[in-house]
Amino acid sequence: MKKRYYIVMLRILAPVLAIVLSALISSAVILAIGKSPLQVFYTIFKFSLSRLDSIAIILYNATPLIFSGLAVSIGFRMGLFNIGVEGQYLIGAFFAALAGFAIKGLPVFVHLPLVILCGALGGMLWSFIPIYLKVKRGVHEVISTIMLNYISYSLIHYLIADVFLDRSQKLVEGLGGILTRTPKLPPSALMPKLHVFLGLFGIQLPRHVYLNWFFPLGLLMAYLIYYLLMHTPFGFEIRSVGQNPEAARTAGIKPERVYMAGFLLSGAVAGLVGLSDLLSYFGYMDLDFPRNYGFDGIAVALIGQNNPLGIVLSAILFGFLKRGAEGIQTQLNVPMDTIVILQAVMIMSIVVITKVMNDYIKRLERKESVICSSQNSSLPA
Amino acid sequence: MKARKILAASLVLLLIMAMLAGCSNQSNQPQEQQNQGAQESQSGEKLKIGLVFDVGGRGDLSFNDSAYAGLERAAKDFADKIEVDYKEPSEGGQDREQLLRLLAENGFDLIFGVGFLFTEHIQKVAQEFPDVKFALIDGAIDGLDENSNIACLLFKEHEGSFLVGAAAAMKSKTGKIGFVGGMKTPIIERFEVGYMAGAKYIDPKITVYSDYIGTTGDAFKDPVTGKELALKQFKAGADVVYHASGASGVGVIEAATLEKKFAIGVDSDQSLTVDPSQRPYILTSMVKAVDVAVYETIKSLVEGNFKGGYRIFGLAENGVGYAVNDYNKDMISDIQPKLEELKQKIINGEIKVPMDKKEYEEFEKSLNK
Repeated sequence: MKKRYYIVMLRILAPVLAIVLSALISSAVILAIGKSPLQVFYTIFKFSLSRLDSIAIILYNATPLIFSGLAVSIGFRMGLFNIGVEGQYLIGAFFAALAGFAIKGLPVFVHLPLVILCGALGGMLWSFIPIYLKVKRGVHEVISTIMLNYISYSLIHYLIADVFLDRSQKLVEGLGGILTRTPKLPPSALMPKLHVFLGLFGIQLPRHVYLNWFFPLGLLMAYLIYYLLMHTPFGFEIRSVGQNPEAARTAGIKPERVYMAGFLLSGAVAGLVGLSDLLSYFGYMDLDFPRNYGFDGIAVALIGQNNPLGIVLSAILFGFLKRGAEGIQTQLNVPMDTIVILQAVMIMSIVVITKVMNDYIKRLERKESVICSSQNSSLPA
Repeated sequence: MKARKILAASLVLLLIMAMLAGCSNQSNQPQEQQNQGAQESQSGEKLKIGLVFDVGGRGDLSFNDSAYAGLERAAKDFADKIEVDYKEPSEGGQDREQLLRLLAENGFDLIFGVGFLFTEHIQKVAQEFPDVKFALIDGAIDGLDENSNIACLLFKEHEGSFLVGAAAAMKSKTGKIGFVGGMKTPIIERFEVGYMAGAKYIDPKITVYSDYIGTTGDAFKDPVTGKELALKQFKAGADVVYHASGASGVGVIEAATLEKKFAIGVDSDQSLTVDPSQRPYILTSMVKAVDVAVYETIKSLVEGNFKGGYRIFGLAENGVGYAVNDYNKDMISDIQPKLEELKQKIINGEIKVPMDKKEYEEFEKSLNK
């Protein structure tokens, strides 16, 4: 029994240790640029946690990463590596934008769900290509999804810059540059912010915060995926195929069918990644549309250990780091490049420490189960 | 058991390091706090000027550095009246708006957004902070007037590009010249058509190769591709290549040095900032006086006559032009009279430099008549 407590304690200790380790390595970096680490950390925490707008912005930053981490994790659970979330969310966002600006005159309760559906559809479509190639022709999904990411970048550029460029933007005497963007989406396609809802509880968010209903939707999505994986036959199939496709086949599960359905689901979730930004902040899609959410999602899924709750928490951690970076840049003049290094160091320490600790815990558990079974001469559950 | 020992040992090590780090901080801290205190006590009287960079950031030896030069010059000239600060947005530039807002919150009086990508962000933030002035370089916001708290600083890049295009055509021996653009946007296309028009004006039969580095903001900081494209154009026979690609142009200049042909710089006078060994290969630079625009805007604020709306910098205002310096004056002395003549014609309106592909086609037709 004593060992049990020890293991539980270790599990709690792992993230704490990770943060301590990353703080130490970052301190070296901060000292190297001649700033005080204590002051930098103090500013990160104070700026991120003592202001209401910062907390809301952290959750806003986390929103796309929740979807992205979930999309990646569905792949991981099946033993597939969906690097293509990047391309899937850009295509999804474009589909959503298209449904947004091309259709006019619908009431919001029809238009908005339609736009969101189109986003999921776009992501699904872009994930269909690699999984079809994999199931039918055995093309490795890592290669095809990476290539499709590149294709999506250029395709989106072509669509925005040439086909759907908003030419009604005005120049002053033909001078200056217009934004390379689609027409703006009508209000009926935009996602309401959380301001009114939170106002009911006496929380008054400042106007410049774009926290919107996609955040609660992300939480709901995390729960749904948890339920799907753990409490439905399909979830069981996904997990079995992920652990051993051949064993699953022997048990009567068709891995190809599971791959196809699971990957399309992953793509559909990926299609929602960009919508929080598109439908609350931008209101149009331009060449400056946020990139890399797909890749960040891989880190989010890994840190969250493919567990929906873990993914939500690690997405919030990423959001926190991003907001903290803005704080130390404006208040302490820490250069942007240093901040990028700090973020990478933190993420890496977390990955390393959780991996080391988990292996250690697993070994302890195994030892314990051996002891138990020898004592009780029965198999542990 | 062994694993536990390692864990224990590493924990002890961590603690020791933490203490060390803690100690070394304590010695630093009071000093920094003093510095901060000093800054705060002064800021009561001084005007605070902030600047947020475009893609590429400081050190692009081009657009951003030119803006920074203007800021620095103002900081020196009005040292007792202003204090300045600058910020770089993160990769992909998503936090542009947050940085603008945080500067405004921290009591800055005038904030520059360097580049048209700030167009929407400045509009949003300027509405929230009506007492803070904003200046947008290269971006056009509709419906401003003198009382707006936004000033748009705009340049006639096509006029300056026309002159360097003419210079390239006059200097070319092969009858082939090149253009390397950064990100394909209307603003960079204006450089391109101005350049082509200038070249065709001198020699209607000239061949102009034209390539763009990429489709995203990263195209302005990709010297490797810049070099490849320029090398390709040199190999195809071009002997002068003009770039409008920010920090990627470093690669174009490298290519020209390698091939012992000419490059034409952009935005700032690049002969002055490159490695001395590269100077003989920079024919001239199309100077876009972002520094002048930044400086003049700060000056107007200091003197209390800041005006919102639009300020346009063309050849007539010395806002654009070609660079003459100690290193290239011998190279271009023979063509300078012609360039000056063209400049006058543009200012007089005798030559109307095309601004986009459509106007360029008409311009080309008028030449062939």
